[in-house]
Amino acid sequence: MGLEYVKISPGFEKYMPRDYVDLVKFGPFGKKVDVMQLGQFKELVEDHPMCAGCYMAYFIRIFYTALPNPEDTIVIGTAGCARLSLSQAAVPFVYGNYGDTNAVASGLKRALSIRFPDKHKDVVVIAGDGGLIDIGFGMTMHSWFRKEKFTTIMVDNEVYGNTGGQESGMSPKGVQLKMAPLGKKFDKINAVELAKVAGCVYVARLSPTNPKRIAKTVRRAILAARHFGPTFIHAYTSCNIEYSIPTREVLADARNREKKDFKFYEWMTDEVKEFLEEVERKEREEVKR
Amino acid sequence: MYFVADVKENECAKYNCKQCVLFCPEPNCLNFKASTNSAWVWYDKCKGCEICVYVCSDLLKRNCVEMVMVTPKATAKS
Ligand SMILES: Cc1ncc(C[n+]2csc(CCOP(=O)(O)OP(=O)(O)O)c2C)c(N)n1
Ligand code: SF4
Ligand code: SF4
Ligand code: SF4
Ligand SMILES: [Mg+2]
Repeated sequence: MGLEYVKISPGFEKYMPRDYVDLVKFGPFGKKVDVMQLGQFKELVEDHPMCAGCYMAYFIRIFYTALPNPEDTIVIGTAGCARLSLSQAAVPFVYGNYGDTNAVASGLKRALSIRFPDKHKDVVVIAGDGGLIDIGFGMTMHSWFRKEKFTTIMVDNEVYGNTGGQESGMSPKGVQLKMAPLGKKFDKINAVELAKVAGCVYVARLSPTNPKRIAKTVRRAILAARHFGPTFIHAYTSCNIEYSIPTREVLADARNREKKDFKFYEWMTDEVKEFLEEVERKEREEVKR
Repeated sequence: MYFVADVKENECAKYNCKQCVLFCPEPNCLNFKASTNSAWVWYDKCKGCEICVYVCSDLLKRNCVEMVMVTPKATAKS
């Protein structure tokens, strides 16, 4: 599809907002962009109301740059902070009810493979820790048990950020939050191990300290989901508001957590490994040419 | 008045860098001009978080980004 669905009808250019015109002229559609080119092309995600210094917003910025094929991607989100920017991107966005994202994505992905049997339509769920591992737990797990071929990304800020600071299953043990004043009594859920057991063919855990690696992980998860089954990324994306992190320290905090419980971790089945090695080998050859 | 980041472009151009551009949370806010080899801030998009200052001053010790107060009129720079 490439540029077809964004291009402006002749004569209308002067009435279109500047951001839109920029997107058509300098956006990434139909080209391959790399994170290292950030700041030199018009990004898919636009101004949004997420808080200053929010690293969930940062992760989402890198996510859109990493999409292997933005013109054939549909993003599913839900209530929670992430949708505030997911809904501001030039990639189709579906708002699933809170907790329902992975059921919506399952149906959508199946319908797309029937309607477009000859091409890949990538479906990606991006939702919070509350949305995926608490309230949406059943739907998330069952999409994995059923081996649905789409990617789930949990943007884990370890709290219900959007509703003012309730604890989630992903909040660390002992942490005190505005609406959990006694401190959390249970351990943080081990989401990546759950994903492996439930049938994901590729899982990764990361802290957003390295844009190239985030992009590579997102790409791998999406490409593997096309052919083999469910894939999952657990991304630490701090909430500087609920965790009172001075915004200037947000990246320092991400680096710090990476040294502790958010060390980069990647696991995939043997067939996914073989497939990705082949894809990446071909890509390297193309670059050389 | 807004509190925004501002790149000292002549200073920045000395380094073949771009690191702050890669870590700003906002899209198309910190940009890079190849012709001058320098980062620059689109003031209208900056939320004043200072992550770029952390990158340039605290991590890289280059001190090429400073925080400044601008009036809405001055934001027309972009
Ligand atoms: C079925 C349902 N229950 C509750 C809510 C209220 N609600 C909206 S956002 C939210 C919490 C969001 O937390 P999380 O999913 O972790 O996302 P975050 O805002 O932290 O990114 C809740 C409980 C809702 N919208 N729908
Ligand atoms: S409340 Fe927290 S997670 Fe939500 S936008 Fe603000 S900083 Fe980000
Ligand atoms: S981090 Fe500093 S030196 Fe590097 S591009 Fe940004 S302003 Fe320039
Ligand atoms: S202050 Fe924050 S939003 Fe503004 S340019 Fe720096 S990193 Fe980006
Ligand atoms: Mg959350």
